[in-house]
Amino acid sequence: MALTESFVRWRYRLVPDHIFGEILAKRWIDNTIPIVILLAVIAAFGTAMPAFFSAASIADLLRQWGEFALLVLALMIVMVAGGIDLSVGSTFALGNIVGLTLIAVAGWPMWAVVLGTLAAGAAVGLVNGLLVGYLRLRAFLTTLVTLIIVRAIVDMMLLTYSVTIAGTFIESEAWYYPGEGYLLGMPFSVVVTVLLALVIHLVFSRSRAGWHVLAVGGSRRSAHNVGIPVRRVICSTYVVSGTLAALSGLLFASRLGGAGADTGIGMEIMALTAAVLGGNSLGGGRGSAAKAIIGSVTVMIMVNGLVRLGVSAGANSLLLGLVLLGAVAIDVRWLKNRHKLLSKVYVSPTYAKLPEAPATSGASPYALNDKLRPVERIALGEIDGPEDVILDEEDNIYAGNRTGDIIRFFAPDYTRQEVYAHTGGRPLGMAFAKDGSLLVCIGGMGLYRITRDREVERLTDETNRSWFSVIDDSRLRLADDLDIAPDGRVFFSEATVRYEMHEWPVDCLESRGNGRIVCYDPNKGTTRTVLKNLVFPNGICMSHDGVSFFFAETWACRISRYYFDGPKAGTVEVVIPDLPGYPDNINRASDGTYWLAIVGMRTPSLDLAMKMPGFRRRMARRIAPDEWLYANINTGCVVRFDEEGTILETLWDKGGENHPMITSMREHKGHLYIGGINNNRIGRLKIEGADPGWTGITSYWGRT
Amino acid sequence: MRRTKTTILAAALAATAGVAGAQEGIDDPTRGAYYEAFEGKTVAFLPVAMGIDLTEGWAAGMKEALEPLGVTIEIRDPNFNTAAGAQALTSLISEKPDAIVVHNPDVQSYARLLKKAQDAGIYVVQVNMRSAFSTDAFVGADYVGMGRQIGERLVEICSPDNGKSGKIAITQGVLTAAASIYQMKGINDVLQEHPEIQLVSNQAADWDATKAKNIAATVIQQHPDLCAITGFWDVMDVGTAAAIKESGKDVYLMTQGGGNQATCDAIESGQFDESVVYNVPGQARDISDMIKLLFQNEPEPGAMQTTLFTQLEFLTRDNMEPGSCWKLPGQ
Repeated sequence: MALTESFVRWRYRLVPDHIFGEILAKRWIDNTIPIVILLAVIAAFGTAMPAFFSAASIADLLRQWGEFALLVLALMIVMVAGGIDLSVGSTFALGNIVGLTLIAVAGWPMWAVVLGTLAAGAAVGLVNGLLVGYLRLRAFLTTLVTLIIVRAIVDMMLLTYSVTIAGTFIESEAWYYPGEGYLLGMPFSVVVTVLLALVIHLVFSRSRAGWHVLAVGGSRRSAHNVGIPVRRVICSTYVVSGTLAALSGLLFASRLGGAGADTGIGMEIMALTAAVLGGNSLGGGRGSAAKAIIGSVTVMIMVNGLVRLGVSAGANSLLLGLVLLGAVAIDVRWLKNRHKLLSKVYVSPTYAKLPEAPATSGASPYALNDKLRPVERIALGEIDGPEDVILDEEDNIYAGNRTGDIIRFFAPDYTRQEVYAHTGGRPLGMAFAKDGSLLVCIGGMGLYRITRDREVERLTDETNRSWFSVIDDSRLRLADDLDIAPDGRVFFSEATVRYEMHEWPVDCLESRGNGRIVCYDPNKGTTRTVLKNLVFPNGICMSHDGVSFFFAETWACRISRYYFDGPKAGTVEVVIPDLPGYPDNINRASDGTYWLAIVGMRTPSLDLAMKMPGFRRRMARRIAPDEWLYANINTGCVVRFDEEGTILETLWDKGGENHPMITSMREHKGHLYIGGINNNRIGRLKIEGADPGWTGITSYWGRT
Repeated sequence: MRRTKTTILAAALAATAGVAGAQEGIDDPTRGAYYEAFEGKTVAFLPVAMGIDLTEGWAAGMKEALEPLGVTIEIRDPNFNTAAGAQALTSLISEKPDAIVVHNPDVQSYARLLKKAQDAGIYVVQVNMRSAFSTDAFVGADYVGMGRQIGERLVEICSPDNGKSGKIAITQGVLTAAASIYQMKGINDVLQEHPEIQLVSNQAADWDATKAKNIAATVIQQHPDLCAITGFWDVMDVGTAAAIKESGKDVYLMTQGGGNQATCDAIESGQFDESVVYNVPGQARDISDMIKLLFQNEPEPGAMQTTLFTQLEFLTRDNMEPGSCWKLPGQ
């Protein structure tokens, strides 16, 4: 191997290129820029003022942060639903003065003060909500007006009550507790805020109400069309926002007790800056409690730090404005360009050198012939893409199609057909279980069972998540083929965890070990991944010994055998390392050997490209998918091999006239039934010298 | 024993005589301790906002008096934002300067924080606007007394006995600020004794000239025979003066403030008719003196509470002299 080639090989083995794209595809990646900004702010103020991050200093900041973060959360909730609430600052001031008036002038007990204050905030929110949600006024202008109105109400209350408040000493321990007390060693406001943030996070990520809010923010019209009560959802976000803002004001009142006229002035801009800086989109649909928290911490540090640095008046507001401007710009650019970047970097081909392809002429066991020429065409033009075919004891044929049905063709002449079951996904590999139910791998859905009563039941659609996988690999994206062990355990292949079903050619371009084999144990009800990092694992077939199975790795052009029981349990042996084409399904033959479908033959150009990952990456980035080099899947053949991997027989249809494109074959009573994922027929070929009474069901489960 | 004492005394006398004999003067015995008391000390100044004559004047005065002694003066500017000011004060408590000079935005907001600061061992000097909580020192006007004097002046000027309408208006600052709340007490005390004086408007302009202008304009429209307006701060009353000028009425404007040159100019030009002046350089000197006192004697913070009321001067065009007002460095 040339030096450069081994360098390339090690480079791609050591550098996990694919991680970058996977990270970029994550939803939480939206938080990167806010976190980077936060770290930058921490670094800047940390160096400018060494004492800034001392324990005492942080403890001081925390309590104020609790109040401020509540406001940001309030604003975030409205923003996520696609609105904006500029009145949070005024509502904060209202909460402050109402709380103070109720306790100092009206002399209410603390619990009543809390309820009264929150009700005042909710009332402001309700006005906003009715105007914006139900009357569909512009959120920006409406809340700008409520900002002024609420501020005027606050001023009027100040005029009436502030002197009394200033002259009254509040004799209530409970009143001072929220502003001065500690809970679990943390300032009360911090505990409240963190708890509320958790609740908000759970609501947004796990609950129907939260999803409704996100849906409304994402697209108001679509949300309306799917039956979400858009107006009510929007209205309720304002009510929640008003309540939170008033709560924040109440905490402030309890801490300082000052009925000052400047309370809450400019707070809406601070809160807005924090919300946008945290990555909550101004356009709605994108936001979280975590983003609000990050943004609020950043702004809190900045504002506080600047006051402590003693910068002159105005500089603080100027900086805040500039930061808001920058954050909005980043928000827009990021939203626009993230998908572009992702589509550029997600595809990450790796070095995948294939062994020399054996010849298909001369004395080779793969030598071309015309043995498939006499194949009969069943259901020509009546079936769309039977990836796998299987026959029951009455000789009826079952085959999946592109529209998600499993079609049954009735023996003996297979001219009549019916929809046996509708699955909704893409039915791929099939196998009969001992009880006669049909187990199907359904692309995009998982492993399903169709009972004899034609009930479609889900067996599993998730497996254990890998610890160090960036993408969530617990979901099954592309369950491909399965087989059943004597004890009932189902082993099935998942071709790739990085792509959806229709993107399989892109996985070929990568040729990384993105696939795996998963075991579903019906006795325990568990699903566990047993083999990882396989290169597009495809066909699976139980060997006759009952403790191992053969599996095909399509882009690696090899057949391996995995022992799940017995003395060699847990080991993988390569049986055929160098196929001339891309293997697909494997099935048992009547004489104790195995049939293998080869979906397409290798080409020198793609084999060469496999050694040049950089070339493939450039191809994926720069030219349209139509122009890519693809694996050939048009000309294939059927191969029979034994347990040692010796090729015993090869069946070709040279011109591809009767049966092009083979993805599976099934022996049944002396005939071979052939399927193809892009085919419009099922092939049937009489096998010379085969056992005319042999069926797959008896081979697996004995005669029932 | 006695003999030993005598010997030591004699030796000491001889030594002193020796020094005196060299005619090198004698050292002031308090001098060393004086300078030592200030070395490396920090004083933090937390005004309501910088950029106004009062706070700039105090800051300049403190710097002048204290910085040569080795005291560091740190200024935190919350820019008329009480919440930011409270934040700054909270941070200051954890930073532990040796003294905090605080200018309260209102009587309540900082009260508990000031107590915490004092409990943390920091001397707290309040300037001009006090908090409900009393600390080591307060330097500023006696607002109740000042209100009373202003009330009496207004009665004098506007009394129907002198042929005036008896209608007056008050423009307060922030309602809960000490300057407003105490002064109102004084004015009200006087007005209660004088039913012939009618208070037609009593509003808060929150130290904002624009608000003050709007208030004054409205009041003058409602009461064209208004006799006088008294505002609680000259910077704010620039707005009131503008409203009076626009209305073209003869309304007596009585304001108050730190007596910066701008005030004298305004009186000279007729914008203000009268201003009650608490002299800012004097206050700055009082503040500095209080700090010097505290640093030298090191009492327990909060142990002794001193109030230094500033003398007031009622400045009109008649009694004004060229030196009546002060200027900031560079003004």
